[in-house]
Amino acid sequence: MSALATLEAGLLLGLYALLAGIWGVFWALAQLRKTPMYGRLAIAAYGLHVLAALTIILSTPLGFGWKSLIVVSSFAFLATPPMTWRFLRHTHQNGQAET
Amino acid sequence: MYRSQTLAVKYFSAAIALFGVMTITGLIAAYYYINPDFLFGILPFSIAKILHINTLVIWLLMGFMGSIYWFLPGELGRETAGIWAAEILFYVFCAAVAVVAVVLIVFQYGGSNEAALWLINQGRKYVEAPRWAALGIVVIMVVFAYNVIGTAIAARKTTGIITVLMIDLIPLILLYLIAFPAISNMSADLFWWWWLVHLWVEATWEVLIGCIMALALMQLLGTSRRIVETWLYIEVALVLGTGILGLGHHYFWIGTPSYWLTIGGFFSALEPLPLLGMVVHAVYDAGAQHMKTTNRPALYWMMAEAFGNFIGAGVWGFMITLPQVNLYAHGTQWTVSHGHFAFWGAYSCGVISVLYLVLQRTRNLAIVDGSLWKWSFAALNLGLVGMTGALLVSGFVQAFVERAIGGSTLDAFISGQENAWFIDGMVARFLLAIVFTAGYVVLVWDVLTLGRRAPAVAAAAAAQ
Amino acid sequence: MDFDDPAFWRAGAISTIAVMSIVLIMLTIDSLSAISPGGSHVPTYTVINQHIDYKFDSNRGFDVPVIGGAEPLFGKALDETAAAALIDHGKMVIQSRACIDCHTFFGNGAYYAPDLTKAWLDPAWGGWQAVTGADTREGAMVKFLMDPEQYRTWTRTMPNLGVTEPEARALVGYLKWMSAVDTNGFPPNFNQIEKRQ
Repeated sequence: MSALATLEAGLLLGLYALLAGIWGVFWALAQLRKTPMYGRLAIAAYGLHVLAALTIILSTPLGFGWKSLIVVSSFAFLATPPMTWRFLRHTHQNGQAET
Repeated sequence: MYRSQTLAVKYFSAAIALFGVMTITGLIAAYYYINPDFLFGILPFSIAKILHINTLVIWLLMGFMGSIYWFLPGELGRETAGIWAAEILFYVFCAAVAVVAVVLIVFQYGGSNEAALWLINQGRKYVEAPRWAALGIVVIMVVFAYNVIGTAIAARKTTGIITVLMIDLIPLILLYLIAFPAISNMSADLFWWWWLVHLWVEATWEVLIGCIMALALMQLLGTSRRIVETWLYIEVALVLGTGILGLGHHYFWIGTPSYWLTIGGFFSALEPLPLLGMVVHAVYDAGAQHMKTTNRPALYWMMAEAFGNFIGAGVWGFMITLPQVNLYAHGTQWTVSHGHFAFWGAYSCGVISVLYLVLQRTRNLAIVDGSLWKWSFAALNLGLVGMTGALLVSGFVQAFVERAIGGSTLDAFISGQENAWFIDGMVARFLLAIVFTAGYVVLVWDVLTLGRRAPAVAAAAAAQ
Repeated sequence: MDFDDPAFWRAGAISTIAVMSIVLIMLTIDSLSAISPGGSHVPTYTVINQHIDYKFDSNRGFDVPVIGGAEPLFGKALDETAAAALIDHGKMVIQSRACIDCHTFFGNGAYYAPDLTKAWLDPAWGGWQAVTGADTREGAMVKFLMDPEQYRTWTRTMPNLGVTEPEARALVGYLKWMSAVDTNGFPPNFNQIEKRQ
């Protein structure tokens, strides 16, 4: 039934966003810690996030435009942690240089 | 200690007390779902709910004001301008809140006339307080803005953070004026009402808590001003860049043109992105300190703010923001699930973090730690997340049974409410609300006894 | 572009906010005409003199309000001024009694009591006419609103809020007008039960 599929899409969207957050956290932890475990967990989380995205695209009744938004957002979620981290290190190095 | 900081402590005390009122009235409202005859004829559900959501707004506003009154003198190097007026108004504020609450409980409603709106209940969500009290809030906020701006003028100095704050206060106060009119046309009423509610909690309040967190980070982690300013501007740009047109996610079903479904859904879907950035930022800050700090509760509550904001506002909002999903989820316990988690993560955790920073100074503690804060941190967060989860179950069931299948008629509503999963969710929510309440009690106990405990305990804590 | 300079990001924040705010204001101006009575989505108040239905529109893909022939409320057609006065009064009742703190309107409010967007069209009123001994749907609604504790719907009871008869009539008029607002298909599937019957 389309309505149930739509509601399940809501849950999937939440999972999609949550996994993006978990990816971000593990990615950040991987920058802090020496062990490769966090890096692997980060990749696993992003992998699951992509799986959620594919499920949304292939089996929910959302329109083409919204599915495109999911694809673009997945790339944005991929880029956000590294971009944020790089700029954090940059600003903190500059900040320390001034003190 | 500056007079402004003494006032800050008073505002935090009132805020924590109102947090308690919010919790108790929330328990009452939650229990109504389990036993509808509870207090029926004495205190209707609507009054319990009004008290619950109005104390939510006021406790947070008081927490914000307390935070600013605390940090302002240090920022600008002098006593807050017009502090005498703020000191008087604090007591007026508390008295007004008490009068409004008593009138609501005792009288509850008046006739369908202007007098009832002026004296008893305005009947618009979050801004039910009668017009005389709304007027009082405007006065208090205008004086607050004067305190901030006047101090900058008197000091002949401002900082990036204070400038952002000053500019933010203008739309914040102007938007509140929407609390006054009684607009007959429900579509127009809700259209403007959402300007107030959304552009408060998803715009001006986000900037305000951003400023407060920037000030708090400088104190807690010694972060340089240049760094927090840069990131404050980035956050403001991203949050308002998505949130201003994200307002459209409230304009799907209120009689507005259908282009809002696309615009609102699109910008709203982008709102989690800056929040992910904040989570990464929080991990960076925690890592840079190796979670070592002289004030562990403040740091942990700040982490909770970043994570809670992303999950509660970002993830939970993302679930229901696309219009196709929202068509069924709108106006169900799914919304309630999101609302509780979002307010908690975006604002409450931040205010509690600052509270601990304030206490470190007022109680003269080199180290703030112990076991009490850990218990309250666990109980409050687990209780809140647990309530959210329970409401998600009830909300999903309601969206399906009432909206999708039943078509939102009266019978559909009843069948949703009587669904076994729905009921289980509401019972679980109530039980977890008790856990949350226990966390609040421990928080109060910790706040009252911090630094005042037996010397042996304090020495042991300091030695760690 | 000096990423190191906070002023760069400050400029970014200012320009972003400016652009978004201007777009919001433009869309608001457009929306205000649509949501004014007589606009594209909101009917004039005199719609309460007519039959209102909610039917599937295959062009738009969801249910939309359909305004029909004459069906005056309480048997008496009202002119624009009188209709507006009734709606004004109805809204004052809604605010003074804080209906929105138990019910929802267009899905906004509290979730303890049913959504009232299409309450005027609710199939349950047919049965209520018999229970309340009223001749018309609006008569049943008035009787219910004036003494909801006498006409309990189920275990969760609506409290008696001291609604007078003029107030109840104004409320009913308000609900009838509200049911004619084009809400882009909310609530969905409203007529399912009727269609199955």
